[in-house]
Amino acid sequence: MPVRFDRSATPGVIRLEGEIDIASARELKDALLEALGAKGEARISLGMATGMDVTAVQLLWAAEREAQASGMVLALDGPVPEAVGATLRQAGFARFPLAADTERDGEPDPGAKPEPKSEPEVR
Amino acid sequence: MAGGSVDQFRSGFQEEARELLADLESCLLELNENREDGALVGRVFRALHTIKGSGAMFGFDRLAAFTHNLENAFDEVRKDRLTVTGDLVDLTLSALDQIRAMVEEREGEAAPDPAACAEIVARLSALTGCAGSASPGAGSGGKAAAPRAPDAGSPALRTARSEGGTTESHWRIHFAPGPDMVRSGSDPLLLLRELGQMGPMAAEASMAAVPPLAELDCERCYVNWEIRLATGAGENAIRDVFIFVEDLCELAVEADGAAPDAEPPKAPNAGQAKSAEALCAADRTARALEEKRTSPGRRASDKPDTAASLRVPAARLDQLVDLVGEMVTVQARLSEVAARSEDGEVLAIAEEIERLTSSLRENSMTLRMLPIRATFERFRRLIHDLARDLGKNVELTIEGADTELDKTVIDQLGDPLMHLIRNSMDHGIEAPEARMAQAKKPMARIHLSAQHSGASVLIAVSDDGAGIDAEAVRSRAVERGLTTADAQLTDAEIFSFIFEPGFSTAKQVTDLSGRGVGMDVVRQRVESLRGSIEVTSRRGQGTTVTLRLPLTLAIIDGLLVTVGDAFFVLPLASTLECIELTREDVERANGKHVAYVRGEVVPYIRLRQYFAVRTPAPEREQIMIVESEEGRCGLVVDQVLGDCQTVIRNLGRLYRHVQVVSGATILGNGAVALILDPQRLVQEAVRARMQRERGRMRDPARETEKGGRPRETAPPVNRNSMSAGTITGVSL
Repeated sequence: MPVRFDRSATPGVIRLEGEIDIASARELKDALLEALGAKGEARISLGMATGMDVTAVQLLWAAEREAQASGMVLALDGPVPEAVGATLRQAGFARFPLAADTERDGEPDPGAKPEPKSEPEVR
Repeated sequence: MAGGSVDQFRSGFQEEARELLADLESCLLELNENREDGALVGRVFRALHTIKGSGAMFGFDRLAAFTHNLENAFDEVRKDRLTVTGDLVDLTLSALDQIRAMVEEREGEAAPDPAACAEIVARLSALTGCAGSASPGAGSGGKAAAPRAPDAGSPALRTARSEGGTTESHWRIHFAPGPDMVRSGSDPLLLLRELGQMGPMAAEASMAAVPPLAELDCERCYVNWEIRLATGAGENAIRDVFIFVEDLCELAVEADGAAPDAEPPKAPNAGQAKSAEALCAADRTARALEEKRTSPGRRASDKPDTAASLRVPAARLDQLVDLVGEMVTVQARLSEVAARSEDGEVLAIAEEIERLTSSLRENSMTLRMLPIRATFERFRRLIHDLARDLGKNVELTIEGADTELDKTVIDQLGDPLMHLIRNSMDHGIEAPEARMAQAKKPMARIHLSAQHSGASVLIAVSDDGAGIDAEAVRSRAVERGLTTADAQLTDAEIFSFIFEPGFSTAKQVTDLSGRGVGMDVVRQRVESLRGSIEVTSRRGQGTTVTLRLPLTLAIIDGLLVTVGDAFFVLPLASTLECIELTREDVERANGKHVAYVRGEVVPYIRLRQYFAVRTPAPEREQIMIVESEEGRCGLVVDQVLGDCQTVIRNLGRLYRHVQVVSGATILGNGAVALILDPQRLVQEAVRARMQRERGRMRDPARETEKGGRPRETAPPVNRNSMSAGTITGVSL
């Protein structure tokens, strides 16, 4: 199972394993919604992930945006595997979604930049 | 995978291949006219590539292997190592015929010709084989295609030459996956990776369109990309990366004159990302505008959203239309019963159902409407081939290709149009020298047009050829006993002889025409569609054959009228108004069949007389004024009962010569009503009258004897008419 929500951990951890693609997108979305619904704090572990497609990237990105807007903490647990990171870098994602270490000081998300007005909650 | 689903995929491929082949054919013919058009070459190449790829996937191995040769040839053309020549186009066209046969082979409808295939492959490899070699005539293809001399002045940024390989060009690419791209199994990130392998690339992903998580469709990509790429490969190579998602995304590739800032970003660097982004954002608007103006070949955004359309077997649509037809009939009965019951509630429901049935009918009819474009485009190939065989220069122009017609009508149109075009090509259009001698342009023209006209569609085939020799047609008609030497005939009447079975003025029978069969087929087919044909022709200037066809063959809106105890339906679309006709009006007109409508004289036809209805006429009758090609004309009926939706049923083969009745319908009370064709009614009446008058001038005595009584008072009955009783007495 590529997406596992470990609710026993504190905070809860969504563990992603293997290829995170369209086949597991629904599960990932449900897990993220659940994490966001619980408020407080949640983490996402990519340690066992080998790859990620665009559906996963946009889910993580949307989740991050909503977590920031609601003031909850949703962050990566551990490093991003190099293979996954490289794919995303090459595809022009300026940073990894949820990668707290590159968090900018109050800057809007680069992706939201072309139309900053339409995404006020990001600020 | 179950056998059934494999077959399903195969038939899916076959359908796709048929479309691609049709598209390819028109691309090739267009390419023949504009041989330097790189976008067209790209389209041809991509279509071949798709046919090959999908064919191999679904087990059409021979097809894939054969198509591979063609793809290679067009790859050479793309790389500017081979030029497009008429022979290459012809060779490819005949190869397409073989591919088509391979696609249909399983259906047992066609079989490829192995010898022809082998020859095509040999000629193709001769072409591609000698590409780049110094002696162009080395292959058996001989003059077929000349390797292009390397020209330094090659336009734009097509500097990429794989042998040279050192020149790098810079490209800007806008890539926006459509809603279905990911669902179809393509991950944009993999495409970007592939693109990144072509050279230094800076991509920027825009997340602006990503909706809130709860609303996000997991299987859809919301991300767009602006990409800058420096590569030695050409535009086609870049487009090839996206070849399988071409229809599923928006893609714009253009040369970037600016110096590259395109080093692959090494690490997440906010500053660098920001500058790249600013650059991209500034460009975006300009590019979007420019993209709207220029259209480099086919772009996904030009085409309708594939997600918004469905492929449904035509048979299912026919079934639906049949069911709706039944529904309309039953609804008519319901309305009838409800009206009798005088129960307000039932009446309300019946009215509601009538309203719903009416919109259901309209909706289901539009489902079967198709633009005539594909039918017209198909003739490009025919004209190209015939022009080559006959040594004539002919171009095809098309007008009104978006005119929509019922699919059942369109399906029947191919043959008549083909015969008309063959006839034009063979008899109408002169050889180039003959045209020059008459100070005509050597390039002759065949013009296909379609336009709506009331409830009909007019489809015309015109040429600017020699025109029809009315005298030759006339003397041939006299020879064949179709008319007499002294008959006074209008041009239209003379031209109508060419549709007689076996009629031909051709002195020799050619492959194409001259046997006098084609035009006969045209008339039969058009008449079976309840259409009519009109021919106009001027010596030395050309001929136009116009087919008037009904928009649909299934259900129409009509007005229900009675004459005696017979019911008739007049199509609403051709009816203008209804006025009263009293005995005094009749007396005032001195026995002439004319009425005065707001000062205008309108002739009328008494349906009571026409159909020999024996019951006496009521005190007040109604004139339905209809619009016809001959002008306004009235049809006198006893009573107008109101409008009705009418399912047209055929009268059967026995009555196929009856032109004035286009079918019959079953009414709510179970009675049968004949559906009249006002156009034909008026035409018949005019023709009958002219014949009578001519006959009278020729031999008044004989005419009177033959009719048994003076024809002036007899109803204008002719071979095409019959009494209402004859038809309504027949079970349908």
